[in-house]
Amino acid sequence: MSIDVPASLNPIDYEVIEGTVRSTEVEIESAVERTARSPMIRDQHDYRVALFDARGRKLTGRSYSAVVDPIFEVFGLDNVFPGDVFFWNDPYNSSGGIGHIPDLCTTIPIFKEDRLIGFSQVFGHHDDVGGMVPGSLPVHAVDMWQEGLVVPPIKLYERGRRNSTFDVIARNSRLSDHLKGDLDAERGAALIGVRRIVELADRYGVDLLEEAFDEVISKCARVIRSELLPKIADGVYHWEDFIECDGVTAPRLHALRMTMTKTPDKIVLDFSGTDPEADGPINWAINYSDGRFVRKWMAPVLRSLADTPERAAEIDMNEGVLDVIEVKFPETGTLVTPNFGKPTGLRFFILLRSLGVFAALLAKATGGRMPADHETIRIWGLYGRNDKDDFFLFREVLGGGGPGRPWADGSDVVHVVPNSRNLPVEFSETNYPVRIERLALKTDSGGAGYRRGGLGYDKTIRPLVDTQLLSNADRSLVNTYGTNGGRCGGTYRVSRRRPDGSIEELPGMCDDVAVSAGEEIHVVTTGGGGWGDPLMREPELVAYDVTCGLVSPEGARRDYGVVLEESSGSVEVDQAATLELRARLSAERTDVPMFDRGPYVALARSEGRYRAPEWWKDPDEGWQAGPTEPVVSELATRP
Amino acid sequence: MTLRVSVDTGGTFTDVVAIDEAGGRTYATKTPSTPQDPSVALQAGIEKILRSAGRSADEVEMVVHGTTSATNAVVEHEFEGIGLLVTRGFRHIIEIARQSVPDGYGNSFFWVKPPRLVPLHLVEEVGGRLDFSGAELEAVDERSVHEALSRLQARGVDRVAVCLLHSYASSEHERRVGEIAAEHFPGLAVSLSSTVLPEYREYERAMTTLLDVMVKPYCARYLREAERRIQTDQGDCAFLIMQSNGGVVTARRAAERPVTMLFSGPAAGVLGAIHMAGLSGIGDILTFDVGGTSTDVCVVRNGLPVLSSETVIEGYPVKVPIIDLATVGTGGGSIAWVDPQGSLKVGPRSAGADPGPISYGRGGTEPTVTDAALVLGRLPEALIGGELALRHDLAYAALEELGERVGLAPEEAAAGVLEIAAANQVHGIRRVTVHKGIDPSTYWLVSFGGAGGMLAADVAEFLGSRRILSPPNPGNLSALGLQVSDMRRDLVRTFVRRESTADPKEIIAAWSELGATGYEELRAEGVREGDMTAALAADLRYRGQSYEVRVLVPEEFSVTESTEAMWDLFHAAHDREFGYSYRGEQEVELVNLRVQAVGRIARPNIDVVDPAMPGGSDGRRPSRQVYWRKDGWTDCAVVARASLRPGSELEGPTIVEEYGSTVVLPRGWHARCDAAYNLLLEREPT
Repeated sequence: MSIDVPASLNPIDYEVIEGTVRSTEVEIESAVERTARSPMIRDQHDYRVALFDARGRKLTGRSYSAVVDPIFEVFGLDNVFPGDVFFWNDPYNSSGGIGHIPDLCTTIPIFKEDRLIGFSQVFGHHDDVGGMVPGSLPVHAVDMWQEGLVVPPIKLYERGRRNSTFDVIARNSRLSDHLKGDLDAERGAALIGVRRIVELADRYGVDLLEEAFDEVISKCARVIRSELLPKIADGVYHWEDFIECDGVTAPRLHALRMTMTKTPDKIVLDFSGTDPEADGPINWAINYSDGRFVRKWMAPVLRSLADTPERAAEIDMNEGVLDVIEVKFPETGTLVTPNFGKPTGLRFFILLRSLGVFAALLAKATGGRMPADHETIRIWGLYGRNDKDDFFLFREVLGGGGPGRPWADGSDVVHVVPNSRNLPVEFSETNYPVRIERLALKTDSGGAGYRRGGLGYDKTIRPLVDTQLLSNADRSLVNTYGTNGGRCGGTYRVSRRRPDGSIEELPGMCDDVAVSAGEEIHVVTTGGGGWGDPLMREPELVAYDVTCGLVSPEGARRDYGVVLEESSGSVEVDQAATLELRARLSAERTDVPMFDRGPYVALARSEGRYRAPEWWKDPDEGWQAGPTEPVVSELATRP
Repeated sequence: MTLRVSVDTGGTFTDVVAIDEAGGRTYATKTPSTPQDPSVALQAGIEKILRSAGRSADEVEMVVHGTTSATNAVVEHEFEGIGLLVTRGFRHIIEIARQSVPDGYGNSFFWVKPPRLVPLHLVEEVGGRLDFSGAELEAVDERSVHEALSRLQARGVDRVAVCLLHSYASSEHERRVGEIAAEHFPGLAVSLSSTVLPEYREYERAMTTLLDVMVKPYCARYLREAERRIQTDQGDCAFLIMQSNGGVVTARRAAERPVTMLFSGPAAGVLGAIHMAGLSGIGDILTFDVGGTSTDVCVVRNGLPVLSSETVIEGYPVKVPIIDLATVGTGGGSIAWVDPQGSLKVGPRSAGADPGPISYGRGGTEPTVTDAALVLGRLPEALIGGELALRHDLAYAALEELGERVGLAPEEAAAGVLEIAAANQVHGIRRVTVHKGIDPSTYWLVSFGGAGGMLAADVAEFLGSRRILSPPNPGNLSALGLQVSDMRRDLVRTFVRRESTADPKEIIAAWSELGATGYEELRAEGVREGDMTAALAADLRYRGQSYEVRVLVPEEFSVTESTEAMWDLFHAAHDREFGYSYRGEQEVELVNLRVQAVGRIARPNIDVVDPAMPGGSDGRRPSRQVYWRKDGWTDCAVVARASLRPGSELEGPTIVEEYGSTVVLPRGWHARCDAAYNLLLEREPT
C-alpha cells in the first residue's frame, strides 16, 4: 500500500519508520534463532544482526554488529547487484568488523528496483570452521591458520545464484551439515530485513525513507550530545587493564591502554601504549576503516550515564556514534593492531576489557559515577566418553557478577550476551555423566562497596566417569576492579578436590587436564567490582546479605566494618560496635583510591611481569574516590 | 428452557453472554468490573442479562467463567508471606535464574535484576537427593524439613512452594515434605512442584510452583465467594472456570491448581474467534484481541489453536499448558507521550482501567489511543450503548497539547497516535509470526476486544493483509468462547528415553497412567464415559539439543502404534518448526510424555448469532465528520451493526457502531455481512 507521500518527514512517519527498523532487527534475530543449528547461536545467542543504509551506515542499535565496509573496499558499488550475497570471516580483511574466525558474516544488499537502499547483515558464531581442534577455539594456537578456514570478502551468491565457494567453506568444517544449515539460516534471516526495508520504501518512497535514515543516525548523536556528554568533564584521562595469559606463554600482564580526550562535543580514544601483540590467541585486529567497528562496539558503555537505567535501555547506538567518538591506533604490532596472521580466537577477553577501560576512563571524568567492572564470558567444560563409542562434551558459558553502580548493587551471575542461558542442573545430570553437588552464588565474591558488586557462581560438579577438563577463562589472577572507593570483585577459580581431600588449583586457561571419577570439580566465577565506599553501606543491607549467605560475617566486619550479632536465627546489627569499628577502619586508611584492582597487579609489577612505554604513567596514581553520595533509589536495595 | 451463562471478567468491563440452550437465542451485555471483589460484577452481570432477556434465575443451568483473579494476584505482586523449600546446596536457584540479561548487548552494565518472587531469606534448604531417574541417593532429612518450616513460619510465611531436584521423576520426597507440612504446620498453604508441574528444568518448575502457591489463597477465596453468590441466586447450577489451555474445570478443581487459570480470559477469546470464523468457513486466522492495556495475538491453523507449555507473566516465566498467545504492542488505553528527543511515542505504559482514557472523565490526564480515536470522530459520543459518555472536550485539549509539542495540529497528532499504535501492533505480530515461520498476510485477521475494530484496518494495511473478519459482539467474544469449550486436563511427565534403547511397552504404560489419571479427574467432574477422549503427545529432540519439539499423535493411531508414530512424526514436526530435520542421521530423544484428557460438553445451538441486543438501535445514523490522514476531515456514513443483515454491503469510509465496539472501515475497504452475521472486510487491490 502507499500513502500520499508527504513532501518532507513528519514526526508520525519518522516514528513508524524508526520503529519498523528497530522491530525488524528483532525479527531477523528471531529468524536466526528459529533456523540456525549451532548451539553457540541457538542456546548461547552468540550472533548479531544489523541493517545499514546505502552508504553502509548502521541504522540499528540494540546491539553491536559487524560492518559492511568490505563491500565498498573490495568490490566497489559498481559491483553490487540484486541477488548478491556477500560473505567473509577474515579478521584481517573485514574492516575490523570480524574479531575471530568462527564468526561467519553474511550481508545482502537491499534494492528498490535498481536503486541500492541499504544492507541487511547477520553474523553468528558457528560450531566448527576447521583448524587444529574441534570447536575452532584452540587455546594454544600461535597463528591464524591453526584456527580454521579464513574467507576474505567474497560473493557467496551472484545475482541470486549460489557459487561453488559455498561447498568449499562447508567442506572445511568438521560439522559440514551444521555449517551449511547455519549459512542458509543467516541468508534466510537477512532476507527478512531486505523485505521489510523494501516495504518501507514502497510505502514512503525512497527519498523520504533516506531522510528518515539520516534522522535515525543524527538523533543518536543528538542523544549522546544532549543527555550523556554534558555529564563528562572535559580533559585528558589515561587508563589500562590487563589480560593475564595468552594461552601460549607463561602468565604475565598484557595491557590494553587508552587515553581519552574529552572536549565539549567529542570523545577521542587513543590506544597508544597498548602492549605488543601476543603469541597466543588474545589479539584483536581493529585498526581498519577508521576504527568504525570498535567505535560502535564501545559506545554503548556511555548509556550508563543516562538519567535512569530505564532510559539507558531505550538509547540505541547506531552509526551516529561516529560523529561523537573517534579512535587513534598505535603502530602495527600491538594487541589491537596485530600483524597479519596472529591468532585471535580468544579475543573476547580484550573485547570485554575495552569496555571496562572505557568505563574507568569515564569514571575518572564523572567523579566516579560509572558502574564498576564485570567479566561475563568464560567457558568451562568436561569431555570424554561414557563408554567406548559415546563421546560427550559438557560445556557451559558461565556469567559473572555484574558491577556495583551508583543506583544499585550489581546483578548476580549476568552474561553480557543478551538472553544467553545457563544449563539447568536437571538437564546436565540427565544428559552427561555428572552430578551437580552444589549450585550457588559465591559468598563474598561481589566487590565490597556502598553498592556492592554482583556475585559469581559457586558450582561443584562430580564427574561420574574419567574425563578431561577445559577452561577458557581470564580474570583468574587479576580481579575485576572496583570504582569510586568500591573494592575489587572475586576472581575466577577452577580447582579439583581429590578423594583424599587434597585440593589442587587449576589454571584458568587449559583444555587437557585429566580428571578421574570420584574427584570433585569446583568452579567459581568472578564477582563484579563494588561501587562507592563500603564503610558507608547501610548496615542493615550488610546484615541482610549475611542472612542470605551473600556476605560472610567476617566479610561484613573486614570489608564493611559492620559488627553483627546473631540471636535466635536472625542477624542483627550491633550499632555501637559498628560505629566504633567503622571509625577505626576509616582512621586507619590513608586514602580511598578511585579504583581497586586487587593484589595481583601490584605483585606482577613487582615481579617484572608488567611492561609499559616510558611515557606511560601509572593511571591510578593520585586518583582518589569522589564522594559516595547516598543515592535515593528504590532500585538501590532489595527488600 | 434453560440458559447457559458465561461471564468474562476484564480489567474495565465484565462481559456477559447468555444462550438459550434449545432456541439458540443469544443475549449479550457488559457491566463495569469491580476489581476490589470481581464477584460483585459477576453477580451484577448475570442479573443484568437475566433482566434484559426477561428470564428468571432458576432457569440458569450453568455458569462458565473466564477470570483474571489469578493474573491480578500476580500483577498486584502479592508477594508477602511466600517461602520456598529447595534441595540442599541449591538455595540460590531463584537468584541465579538462567543468568539472562534481557534485550540489548551490554545492558549488563546498567540493568538491575528485578525482585524475585521470594526473597532469599525465605528460601530454605532440605536434605535428601534423587538422581535423574528418580532413584534415591539420599533419604529426605525430615529434621531439616521441620526446622526449615518452623523458621519460615516464624518469619511470617503462610504459603510455601516445594521444589526438590528431579521431583518430576519421583514425587516421593516432595510428598513426604507435604505430609510433614500438613501434619505439623496446618496453617500453611503448600504447593508441590511434582503436582503443579512434573517436568524437568528446576528453575522454571520452581517459579511455576511459586506462582501457584502465591495465588492459591486469593483464588480459593474468590472462587468460593463467586460460587456462593451464584448459588444463592441461581441455586445449585454448575460453575465452571476457563483455564489457559482452553478447557474448563469446576471451580473447586481450579482452586487446587490455580496457576492453570492465569490466561483464562484471553484463551476464551481465541475459542470464540475460532468458533465465529468457523461459521464462515474460515480456518486460518490470526486473532487480534485489543483490550485496554494490550493486544493478544494467536495464530490458528485450520481451526486449531497451537498449544504451548511456557509463557511469561510480569516478566516471570511460568510453565503451564496454554493456548499459544502472544501479548503484543498497545491497547486502547495505551498512553501517547513525547520522549526526551521530541519523538512521538505510544505505550507501553497504559492508563489501564483506572483512571482509563482521559475521555472517560475519571481523572485520566495523559492522552490514550482511545482519546485519539474520539478526536478523529471514529468513536461515538458514548460507549456501551450510551452508558459511558465520552468527554470529547478533555480528549481534544490533551491531543492539542501533545500536537503542540511535536508540531502537529490536534487531529494530525491524533491520527499519528493511531498510526503509531497500529505500527507497534504490527511489530509484535511480525515477531510472533516470523518465530513460527508463517506469513501473516495470508491469514484472516479476526478483530475483537473493545478496541479491535478501531485499529484492525490500519494494522491489516501495514501487514499487507487484505482480509478482516469482525464477528458480531466483538466486545463479548471471550464470553462467547466460554460457551464453546470442553473440559480439558493436561498431564505431563518427564520421561527421558532414547529411540535406540527405549522400551515401547514402558512408554505406553507411562502414557496410559497419565491417561488414567486424566479420566479419573474428569469422572470426578461428572463427565460420562462416552464423552471422554484422550489425546497423546510428546516432546522430543535430537540428542544434544537443549530444546524440544511437541509431537501430537493423531487419533488414528492405536495406543500400541503410538510410540512408533511419535518417533517418526518428530522429524516432520522439527522440519515444520525450524525448516530442517536429521531423519536417519541423528538419534532422537524423548523428553516429556503428555496427555490431554477431554470431556466433551454439549454445545449450545449458536450457529446463528442474533446481534440484536439492548442498547442497540436500528438503521443508519446521522453521518459525521471523521478525520483521515490522507483525506482530512470527511463526511462519513455511520451504520448501526444491529441493522446489518446477511447480504448487507458497506463501502468505506464508514463507521459501524455496535454495543461495546466500533468497526472502522476506511476508504478502499468493502464489507459484507454473511449468514453468520460476521462482517467480512476486504481491501481493494491497490
